[in-house]
Order: sequence, then structure tokens, then C-alpha cells
Amino acid sequence: MATIEFNQIQKSYGGVQAIRDFNLTVDDGDFCVFVGPSGCGKSTALKMLAGLEPTSGGEIAIGGRDVTDLGPGKRDIAMVFQNYALYPHMSVRSNIGFGLKMHGLPKAEIDRKVAEVADILELSDYLDRKPRALSGGQRQRVALGRAIVREPSAFLMDEPLSNLDAKLRVQTRAEIVKLQKRLGVTTIYVTHDQVEALTMATKIVVMRKGVIQQIGSPETLFDTPANLFVAGFIGSPGMNFFRGPVEKEGDVAFTRFAGARIKLAVPAGQLPFDNAIFGIRPEHIRIGGEGAEIGLTLVESLGTEKILHFQTPEGQEFNDADTAADHDDERDASSMLARVIDDVRYADGQAIRVHLPEDKIHVFNPDTHTALRAASGQVNT
Amino acid sequence: MRNHSLLGKIGIYAAVAATCGLLLFPIYWMFITALKPANRLRDFPPEFWPENPQWNVFADVLNSQPFGLWMWNTVLVAIATMILSLTVGTLAAYALSRFRLRGGQGLGLFILTSKMLPATLLIIPLFVVFRSLGLTGSLWSVIIAQSTLIVPFATWMLKGYFDTIPPELEQAALVDGASPLGAIVRIVLPVAAPGMAATALYAFVISWSDFLYARTFLTTSESKWTLNMGIATLKGEFVTDWNVIMAASLMAAVPIVGVYLFLERYLVGGLSAGSEK
Ligand SMILES: Nc1ncnc2c1ncn2[C@@H]1O[C@H](COP(=O)(O)OP(=O)(O)OP(=O)(O)O)[C@@H](O)[C@H]1O
Ligand SMILES: [Mg+2]
Repeated sequence: MATIEFNQIQKSYGGVQAIRDFNLTVDDGDFCVFVGPSGCGKSTALKMLAGLEPTSGGEIAIGGRDVTDLGPGKRDIAMVFQNYALYPHMSVRSNIGFGLKMHGLPKAEIDRKVAEVADILELSDYLDRKPRALSGGQRQRVALGRAIVREPSAFLMDEPLSNLDAKLRVQTRAEIVKLQKRLGVTTIYVTHDQVEALTMATKIVVMRKGVIQQIGSPETLFDTPANLFVAGFIGSPGMNFFRGPVEKEGDVAFTRFAGARIKLAVPAGQLPFDNAIFGIRPEHIRIGGEGAEIGLTLVESLGTEKILHFQTPEGQEFNDADTAADHDDERDASSMLARVIDDVRYADGQAIRVHLPEDKIHVFNPDTHTALRAASGQVNT
Repeated sequence: MRNHSLLGKIGIYAAVAATCGLLLFPIYWMFITALKPANRLRDFPPEFWPENPQWNVFADVLNSQPFGLWMWNTVLVAIATMILSLTVGTLAAYALSRFRLRGGQGLGLFILTSKMLPATLLIIPLFVVFRSLGLTGSLWSVIIAQSTLIVPFATWMLKGYFDTIPPELEQAALVDGASPLGAIVRIVLPVAAPGMAATALYAFVISWSDFLYARTFLTTSESKWTLNMGIATLKGEFVTDWNVIMAASLMAAVPIVGVYLFLERYLVGGLSAGSEK
């Protein structure tokens, strides 16, 4: 059990910078998730922490001890790989016990610990099998067992669930969280799936192109994303974005959505622009009332929960590489979603009124794409 | 094989039988030639099974020639060559497969091209080198010369095999506390066992069948003759006892079959092991 610190970590491959100015402190017992799109450097950061990849600059400390120049075996960490990396020529028993054997534990003690871990992970019946005779879920548990049997000061996991089917993934997700709580071991978990990040983490690190975008709890990231990228990446379905004018009356600023005037929580003094980018989550859009009238293009019904699609008002479309690539729903760039839970029946083509509550609107600087906020001003990135 | 018709099956067996016949015929011919009395060898039409098989020819070979000594020398050379080329080849292949070496790809190709030089081209420079090292007449000359021929190919065979082993396997071992060499010895080599076995067999067979190097470096030291060298001397200037030569050659081939049978389980058994997802 230990804290983990990255201090100004850099990594370049040849001339390409894969990680830039990576600073992070993970507290003892934290479940910290690195999340970001493919190629953003999550695995690289994890491998540097494991000692499998040399750093190009900066220091890494585990439990207050500088490990930057130590080999992987001397860092007192255990790792779970995406492909599990089980030793194919060894039985499950030897796979789990390998680390203990390398650390010179007596055989009786290894056997005892392996049996204990096998019991926790329900692997006792498979101890004498070879990995190739196991199902995907069982292999995944062997990989977990190999990590926990060592009782290391930190677990590192690189997309350990991505080879499981959807149902097993959800199940195992919960099991890993429970196991981590029980053992209290500081964990760094890499995924590109923001749902995994939100459900598992106590601390999320959102990365993009080798740069940390924001660090915070799931709630912080969801409620107060630091920039457009985080806003678009976290949440499902993802946040709606639109362009709008900035109109000022004294200290108060307004924008317009489909003609309707909306007061902004951000004071006019913080908005030295003629227009800005605005965001609202699909679950925050209100239907009915005095809002702007809009025609539905598609209704997806999941029983009481419905996803309503409608066109972004003409001229207000916001299209940007920052957000577009990472929505996991199939909205096209010029439509917006509202998520409603009610008993009303909606039909394609129906006209409805939508209302955007002012306290739920996120405002972004149109040039830098950073979020602008009323209370604390501009959020640091 | 499930859905083949009867006719299809017959066709397959016929093809297999034809292939086997083609491959085994020379061995059959060696065998009956060995069993014929020397004066019946050139009979025409030939006998397909000798009327009066001379089984004692095998014992004669063992008694009248230092056959055991030749065999022993050949075994020593083959095993030493196998170990030497496998060790060098494994280390080189691992480096080529895992490390991003500056010009690594060029180096790999260079190693392969050196394999394309014919042995006859290398033999004179090698002879000069061995003579100045005082190695001519020693089994080491043949061992080293054969290894120069085998190592490039062994390196490529093994590199191909190592490339299929995911590096995460060694990384997991490193994290588990193994040393880099320990990770290779405990994880990579056992997983690569089929590739190692195939390469070992290749090295053994090439070494066993060498004649050129033995003939060049060992001619003057009779006590160091290998089988191929020794058998070649049975061919006389005026008379050649072909039946004796055939019997000796047959016996010389037996250890190869033994080595193959021993390595076979690694060749087949491990092929499906690979890495685990
Ligand atoms: N050995 C390497 N040599 C050169 N570039 C590399 C190397 N390893 C990674 N990179 C580059 O570094 C960047 C980060 O890679 P990394 O594997 O950390 O991404 P990731 O966030 O884990 O992505 P994924 O979700 O696809 O696993 C990528 O652009 C990748 O191409
Ligand atoms: Mg990765």
C-alpha cells in the first residue's frame, strides 16, 4: 500500500512526444483510472510506472521511494495485462505462484498463499490446468490472482476487461472494485471506456495526445469538465454542443438557442467574445414549458427512458475534432439528444418545446476550448 | 477429412503411398544392395530381394572398420555444433526480435545473406584461419566451420518464432521479479520449445551430413574421422565394396532417426501452445 507520484514525466519515442508534463499524485488506497482515446499514452504512462519503459524525463515515486531508475521487479508492484500474459507452459498454480517463487518464498508458503487466492477467485478447481484449457473469464481471474497473491504496494491494470464479453465485463468490473476495496491496495487502471472510469474510479485522469486534460473524482469530471474534450468524453450519451451568440446587459450575459434567450451563469465580464460554445448534457434538457420549438428527427425508446434526437438549430452547429471522434452514440454532427424519463409518447417528426436550464449550461471559450465558470472562474486544466 | 468420398480417400492414400514410395525407394535400394554378395550387385535384371541375404555385412562393417570411433566423433561434432549454433542463434534471434537495434533490420538481412555464400567459397579462408589457430585436425575445426553455416539460418528460424511470442509474457515475468535473463530462460525458451526443437534438429542433420568440412580439415588425422569421412575412404581405387558402403551408410543414418523421434514431441506438442489470450 502506497502513494504514487509522477513528477514532470516526459516520454518520447524518437522525435515523437508520447507523454508530456505528466504530473499526478495518487493517494494510498485510491482507485485511479487513466482514461482517454486510443493512442493517448495511457499504456505508456503505466509502463513507465511499472519500469517496463524508461522515462525520458521526470521522476516517479512509489510509497515515497524514488523508483525512476529501478527495474520492474524492484518496484513492488503487480500488473495485469490486457492479453493476461499468462505463462502458457505453466499450470494455473505455477502461474499464480511464479512471483512468490521469484521472491524466494518457501514452497509450503507459496502453496498456502496460492490456495488462499484461488479460493477468493474461485479457481481452486482449475489449479492444475494449463491456461489454454480455461475460459476467457477464468484466464482473467488467473491474471488477477497472479497480481493479488504478491500483496504488492500497487496494482497496475492495462485494460484487463477488454477481452471479456459485455455481460462478464460488467460483472468483473464490480468484482475488481470490491476486491480492491477489501485489499485497500492503491490501483492504477487503464481503460479507454469512460463508463468503466466513471463506475470504478475514485480518481480519474483524462488524457489526450499525451497530455493530462483533467484530474478529479467522477463527479467533478461529470459536473465541471475542464474543457470541451473532457466534457465530450465523459458521459453517455455525450454532451450536446452548440454555438451561440453572447449578448450582454450590464453584468449579465445571455445566449440564444433557436431564438429563445437564455441567461448564463457566467458573468458578462468573463465573456469577452461575440459568441461562444455551449454544452448541455442530454439528461438536463427539459421538454415542454416555454422553450424553443423544435422538430424531433428520431425517437429511441427504451421503455420509460427515451432518447430524443433533434436538429441543432440552423447556424448553431458545432463541429470539432475535439469532441466528434469520441461520442460513442451514433448521433450525426448536426443533431442533439435529449434523454427523458416520462410517460409521454413521442413520435418522429413531432414538434416539441425544449428548454435548457441555465444552471446546467456549460460555457466554453471559443478559441481555447477551456470551460468558463461562474463561481471559481476559469477552471485549471 | 470428414466429408471426403470413398474415391477421394483412395486418391489421398494413393498420393501418400506414391510419395512415400518415391522417398523410401533409395533407402530400400541401399538395404538390398547391402545384403547382396559383392559379385551379384551388377546383375541385370536386378533382384528385388536377394536370394541369399548376407546379414553378416553389418557385423563385418563394425569389425573391419573403426566404425564405432567414426560414429563417436560424428556424435560429438553434431552435438557440439547443435549446442553452439543454438546458443549463438538464440541470443542473436532474441536480440533481433525484441530490441530496436539501430539498423537491426539491415543486420538481420546481412546475417541471412551470409547464409547464401556457398560452403565451397568459405572453405579456403576457413582453412587458413584454422591452420593459423592450430585447429586443423581437431574436431573443433569442423564444429566451428559447420556452425558458421548453421547459425545464420538458425537465427532466422528462431527470430520468426520469438516474434510470435508476445513481449507481455516477459514483461509479466519481469514485474513478477524475474531477472531479464531469468525471464528468457524460464518463460521465452520453454514457450519457444517447438522452434528450438526444430532448429536443433536442423543443426543436427546438417552437421551429421557434412562431408566437405570433415574431408578438408580432418583428412590427415585418422583418429578424428567422422562417419561420412570414414565411409568415403571405403571407396577404393580399384575395387569398391558397395554392399559394405551401403551397410555402413544405413547404420550411419540410424542416430538421425533416433534424434528425430526424441525431438518430435516438442515439435508437435508445443506448436499449439503459443500465447494465451
Ligand atoms: N515502442 C513505441 N515506439 C514508438 N511509438 C510508440 C511506442 N509505443 C507507443 N508509441 C506511441 O505512443 C503513443 C501512446 O501509445 P500508448 O500505447 O500509450 O497508447 P494507449 O493510450 O495505451 O492506447 P490504446 O488505448 O490503444 O492502448 C501512441 O501514439 C503510440 O503510437
Ligand atoms: Mg494501451
